[in-house]
Amino acid sequence: MLKIESGGDGVAVIAGRLDAAQCPAVQAFLEHVEGVVTLDCRGLEYISSAGLGVLLKTQKRLTGSAGKLRLVGVSHHLLDIFRYSGFDQIFEIEAAG
Amino acid sequence: MIVIADRLFRRSFDSLEEIFAFTAAFFATHAIDAGLLPTVDLTLEELFTNMVKYSPGGNPHIRIEMATTEGGVEVTLTDYDVERFDVTRAPDVNIDLPIEERRPGGLGLYLVRRLVDSLHYEYSNDRRQSRITFRKTLSGRAG
Repeated sequence: MLKIESGGDGVAVIAGRLDAAQCPAVQAFLEHVEGVVTLDCRGLEYISSAGLGVLLKTQKRLTGSAGKLRLVGVSHHLLDIFRYSGFDQIFEIEAAG
Repeated sequence: MIVIADRLFRRSFDSLEEIFAFTAAFFATHAIDAGLLPTVDLTLEELFTNMVKYSPGGNPHIRIEMATTEGGVEVTLTDYDVERFDVTRAPDVNIDLPIEERRPGGLGLYLVRRLVDSLHYEYSNDRRQSRITFRKTLSGRAG
């Protein structure tokens, strides 16, 4: 299961597994965020290319209006996926402590 | 090689949850290193959803077989009543493009090729059947 919700002050919190079946709900949520948004990924266990596509689409929209999506609390496994995808070049990413 | 788990899944994104339960149970039953599971799940999802997206007229079910190998697993997906689509020949995406030029799509198979030890495709013209086999072991590639 996957959960995404507002954490207040420009923070969104995502937890669970972001697979292709969960993307429509995440896309619907992220379509409404604006400005600089921090996505707290501490609870994100898994992401596939479908999920990466949702993040990329959001980043393209936000950077087009001087905003951006920051990814924080990213696990070691997800960090590898982001790096292999070249997302470390287009997102500000902060690894989990 | 002895197949020790074999199951059919509906041709639907909604099958992903059942597929992940299937892989988790297989790993637990056979004491396979849990560190390999995220890559196996990712690879299965990318290959399975490709079959769902690009062969909507195929058989309503897709078969997944899992077997243990030394230090890991070998997984085979079989898709029935479909056209040929060789996932090993899909073009790579350019991950170095600036964000303005990046487009969603193509990333899944790129990641799969990067993460698994081996990836094989075979197609039977007579049976109109695609089979994709991948292997993931602790001593293999990163991820």
